[in-house]
Amino acid sequence: MISVAPWLVFSVAVIAQLPPSAARPIDFTRDIKPILQVSCVRCHARGRDRGGFSIETRERMLKGGDDGPALVPGDSSSSHLIALVAGLDPDEVMPKKGSRLTSEQIGLLRAWIDQGAAWDPGVSFARPAPQNLGPRSPDLPAGASLRANPVDRLLASYFAQQDATPARLSADRQFVRRATLDIVGELPTPGEVRAFVADRRAGKRARLVARLLADDRRYAEHWLTFWNDLLRNDYRGTGYIDGGRENITAWLYAALANNLPYDRFVAALVNPTPASEGFAKGIVWRGVVNASQTPEMQAAQNISQVFMGVNLKCASCHDSFINDWQLSDSYGLASIYAASPLEMVECDRPTGKTARMKFLYDELGTVDPSAPRGVRLEQLSHVLTGPKNGRLARTVVNRLWARFMGRGLVEPLDDMDRAAWDQDLLDWLAEDLVAHRYDLKHTMNIVLSSEAYSRQAVDVPERSETYVFRGPAIRRLTAEQFVDGISAITGVWQEKQAAKVDVMLVSAHAAPVPSRTRAALANADPLMTALGRPNREQVVTVRTSSATTLQALELENGSTLATTLRRGAERLAAMRPLTTNGLIDKVFERAFSRPPTHAERALCAQLLGAHPTAAGVEDLLWSIAMLPEFQMVN
Amino acid sequence: MSALTRRDFLATASAATLSALAAGFPRRADAAQTLVPTADAVIVLWMAGGMAHTETFDPKRYTPYAAGLKPDQVLSTFPAIDTAVDHIKISQGLERIAGVMDRGTLIRTYTAGDLGFILHSRHQYQWHTGYAPPQTVAAPHLGAIVARTLGPKDAAMPPFINIGQRLDVGEGEELKAFTTAGFLGSEFGPFGVPFPDAAADVVRPPGGMTPGRFEQRDRFYRKLLDASPIGQEGSGYQRDSLLRAYDNAHRLLSSPAAKAFDLSLEPLDHVRRYVPGYEPGQQFRAEQDRFGARYEQQMVGRFGLGCLLARRLVESGARYVEVTTEYIPFLNWDTHENGHTRATEMKRQIDAPVAQLVLDLEERGLLNRTLIVLASEFSRDLLIEGKPDRKVKDQVDVPDVITEPKHYGMHRHFTDAGCVLMFGGGIRRGHLHGVTADERPCRTLQDRVVIEDLHATIFRALGIAPTLAYTIEERPFYVTRDGKGRAIQSLFS
Repeated sequence: MISVAPWLVFSVAVIAQLPPSAARPIDFTRDIKPILQVSCVRCHARGRDRGGFSIETRERMLKGGDDGPALVPGDSSSSHLIALVAGLDPDEVMPKKGSRLTSEQIGLLRAWIDQGAAWDPGVSFARPAPQNLGPRSPDLPAGASLRANPVDRLLASYFAQQDATPARLSADRQFVRRATLDIVGELPTPGEVRAFVADRRAGKRARLVARLLADDRRYAEHWLTFWNDLLRNDYRGTGYIDGGRENITAWLYAALANNLPYDRFVAALVNPTPASEGFAKGIVWRGVVNASQTPEMQAAQNISQVFMGVNLKCASCHDSFINDWQLSDSYGLASIYAASPLEMVECDRPTGKTARMKFLYDELGTVDPSAPRGVRLEQLSHVLTGPKNGRLARTVVNRLWARFMGRGLVEPLDDMDRAAWDQDLLDWLAEDLVAHRYDLKHTMNIVLSSEAYSRQAVDVPERSETYVFRGPAIRRLTAEQFVDGISAITGVWQEKQAAKVDVMLVSAHAAPVPSRTRAALANADPLMTALGRPNREQVVTVRTSSATTLQALELENGSTLATTLRRGAERLAAMRPLTTNGLIDKVFERAFSRPPTHAERALCAQLLGAHPTAAGVEDLLWSIAMLPEFQMVN
Repeated sequence: MSALTRRDFLATASAATLSALAAGFPRRADAAQTLVPTADAVIVLWMAGGMAHTETFDPKRYTPYAAGLKPDQVLSTFPAIDTAVDHIKISQGLERIAGVMDRGTLIRTYTAGDLGFILHSRHQYQWHTGYAPPQTVAAPHLGAIVARTLGPKDAAMPPFINIGQRLDVGEGEELKAFTTAGFLGSEFGPFGVPFPDAAADVVRPPGGMTPGRFEQRDRFYRKLLDASPIGQEGSGYQRDSLLRAYDNAHRLLSSPAAKAFDLSLEPLDHVRRYVPGYEPGQQFRAEQDRFGARYEQQMVGRFGLGCLLARRLVESGARYVEVTTEYIPFLNWDTHENGHTRATEMKRQIDAPVAQLVLDLEERGLLNRTLIVLASEFSRDLLIEGKPDRKVKDQVDVPDVITEPKHYGMHRHFTDAGCVLMFGGGIRRGHLHGVTADERPCRTLQDRVVIEDLHATIFRALGIAPTLAYTIEERPFYVTRDGKGRAIQSLFS
C-alpha cells in the first residue's frame, strides 16, 4: 500500500462485507466493459470527470480522482472503487445515479482488479470525435454518366449497395405540381401545367426548376414560412406585449428575395443589425426566468440547433444525459452574448463556477473573451461561417434535402452528430454549396433537377425505423400551402398582410402583391393553426404531418375555411360564361393539375346540375379540398 | 375508400386514435407505474384572474366599508357564513356552494410559484403545464397530458375540451402559449368552445348549412373519394392518416355525442338551476369596462352555462373539461379596483353553477368517478404583492386611506395562500386542508400545497403516476415538474 487514505481504514469485519471476488478468469470486454458503460460512463467518461475521476482509459482510471487512487491492481479489497460500489460508507455510494451494482457485478470487478485490471487495447470511453464537422470533398464517381446530375451519380452507388430499385420517374403533371409547390409554395396554374406537358424539348424539368427558382417574389413568400419556423419569427406572439420580442420579417423577406448567401445570412443573425437582432435576442417574458432560459441561453440553444444541428437544451440545465454536451458548453456559447461573465447554474442552483467563453468546437476557431461584445459576436460569426466549419453547410443542405425529399440525409435533422445514409452525397452537396458562395438556390437547383427528385413519390411513414431512399416521400401540404391553394382555386386571398416588407430592400418584382396576400404573410388563423402552423414560441425545424381529428373538425365546420369557400363559390357561380363542365374542369385542373376523369366529371355534374348554385359550388369546393389528392404532394 | 373499409374505421373508433398514437406522436418515456384510478374524468373550474382567498373560501375578520378606513384594517370585505361542514366557514355570497361543502375538500394553502413579477399569464401557464415559461420545448397543457395518457372515454368525444376562453382577447398570445398540446401533437390539443352560450355551433354544420345538406355533402365527398384515381391506389401513410382524421371528425359531428353540446336540449327549469332567470337563446355579450362592475354583472350566467355544458359533456364521455370564468386583463376575477363590488358579481357568476354541477353529477351517479377542481392562478390581497418576504413590483397602487368604494377590495396579487376546491373522484368529503394566518399577511402556516403536488394529486385520481414522462428530442418530459410531484394522500377518502 503506497498511501493510506482515510477511506482505507476499514476493519477486517467491514472488508468481510464485500461480495466475494468471482472465481474465474475475467475478460475485460465481455465482463467489465458493459458494467462501466452502464454505471460509470455517464459521469466519469466522454469528457466528464466528476470528482476528478475519469475512466476513459486504463491510465486515467488507475490515476484515480480527488480522493486518491481508485484501484490497486492485484488487491481489490484495498481498492477505493470497490468500497464505493459496495456501499461500505452509506453516505458515499457509487453509482450516485441509477441502480446499485449487484453482488455478482462487484464480484466481477473485484476479480478483474485482483487479476491485474487488464484493459483491451482499443477500448476507450473518451468523447468521440464530432461527426460532420470538418469539410470533406468526395470525388464524384467516374463512369459513363458524366453528364448526369451529381446527385444521381452519387446515388448510383447507394442504390447498388442497398440493392434498392429507385421509384419510376413521375408523370409530368405530378412533377410540375410538386416542383411548383416545393419552390414557390403554390399550385401551378392550368396554363402552366398544359404548357409543361406539351413541351417536347429535352431538359424541360430542369428548365422549370430554374424558372421557378428565379421567381423571387413567390420564392420569398414561400420560404418565409420555413425560416419563420426555424428562426421562430412571427408577427404576433408572446413577448410583443411589452417589448420582450422583436420580429425580423422585413430583413428576412429581403434576404430571401435577394437570395442572400447563406454565410452572410447566418452572420447577420448571429452578429445582428437592429433589423435582424430579434432571433438572437430571444423571447423575454417579464419576471424571473429559469436560468436555462435567459436571453443568452436562448441564443446559445437556438444558434446551435438551427445552424449546427446541435441540441443544447438538456445541457442548458445540467450535463446532458442524451449526448456529450455539458453545461459548460452551453454557458461557453451563451457568455459570448452576455454583458458580463456568466456564472453557471445547474438545475437552478448556482455552481460558483464561471463558464469559459467558447464556441461549441474549439477546433473551429476562437472568440476572444477579453474583447467587447460587438467584437465577440463578429468573431463568432467568423467561426461559424469560416472555412473550417463544414457543419454549417451540411446542416442546411440536410434541411433542404428533407424539405424536398420528405426525410433528411441525416435524421433527426437537429442531430448532425449522426452519420448520413449517404455520407458522400451530404458531404458533396455541402462542399458544393460552399464552393458556390453559399448560394442556396444553387443547391436547390442541383437537388431539384436530379432524377432522384424527379421520381414518383413513395410512401414513407412519419417515423419509420428502416428507411431506404427510393424517391421523394409523399408529403402533406403545409398549412400555408393548403390555404394558398384554396385561395388560388377560389380567388379569395388573405385579407390582411401582417408581414412587414420593406420595399426599399427588395426590388419591385419581388415585393408582395396586395391583391394576392399569401398565408405566410398573414397572421395565423384557427385554420392554419389546426393545420400545423406553429405558434413560434420555440424553434420548429420539422412540423408534424399526421392528420388529426381536431384538424379535420376545423376543416369540416370551422368558420375560416367555410367563409373562404362561400365567398369563392359565390364568385365562381357568378362568372360568365358559366357551364357546369367548364367549372368542374377549371377546379380540377387547378386543384390536382389534371382534368377530371369521366366518372368524376359525371359525379360533379350531378351535384351541380345544369345551373350551378353557389351552394352547390361550395360543396364541390369543400369536397375537393378534403380529398387526399389535394392535401398531399405526390 | 370502399364502404367496407369505411365501416372498419367506424367500428374501430378508439383503435383509430390508438393508431394515430402509434403513428407519429411522442412516446411514453418509461413504463411508469400504473395506479388504480379513482376518477375517470376531470372538470377544472378556472377562476381566471386571481380569486382572493379572503373574499371567497378563507374568510378572515370582516370590516364593513367606511370612508376613512386604513387599508391595513381590511382583511375581508364580506362576512363569513356557515357551510354544511361544522368547522368550515366561507364567504357570504357563496351560500349554495356552502350547502355542498360536505361533498368535497377545501384546500386553503395553495401557493403559487415565485416567478418574479406577479403576472397572470405566466402563473396561468405554470398552473396549467407545471412549468414556468419560457420552455425549450412546447409544454403541454394539463388537459392534453390527460388526453394523451388516457385517450377519449367515448371515441366520438374530443378528450380535451376548453370552455369559455376566447384567445383573441388581451394577452391572447400568452394564453395560446399554454392552451396547446405542445409537443404532444395537436391530436391532443384543446377543442375550444369559446362561447358556452353558442356551444352547439362548434359541432354544427358550418354557417347555417342544413343537416340535410351537410350529410349530402359528406356522401358526395365519399363518392368522389371512391372515384379518385389516387383513391384507387391503395393505402399510404399520409392518406390513411387523413381519412382516419376525417372519419373521426365526421363521427363527432353526426354522433349522439354532438347533442351534448346543444344546451337547448336541457329542460329550461334545469338550466335555471345553473343560471337563475335564464331565457332560452340568451347570449352574454357586454362592453368591457375595467373601472366599474358592469361587465361582471352582465356576464353572470356565462360561466353557469359552461358548467352545465361540462356536465353534459362528461355524461357523454368527455375526459378532461375546463370551464373558465375567462381571463381578460382587468376584468372578472382580475380586480385591480372596485374589488368588493366585482367580487360580489363574480360570486354570483359561480355560486349556483358550481353547487349545481356537484349535485347533478351526484344525482346521476357520476360524482364518484368525476373529479372537480376549482382553482385560480393566485390569490389577492389589499396590500401585499406576491409573498410577504419577497419583494416584487407592485402592480396596483393602493391609497393610504380608503375614501371611496372603488378602493375597497383585494387589488394586489397575493401568492402565499390560495383556495382550491375539489369534489368527487375519490376525494375526501367535508375535509379541510391547510391553515392560513388570521391576520395580515394571511399566509400559509401549515400544509402548503404547490403546483406539482396538486397536479400529482389530480393525476393520482386518474391513475397517472407523477413520474410519467414523454420523450421529446430524446429526453424525458415529466407530467409533473421534473417528475417531482407527490400526490397529497390525505385528500383521498
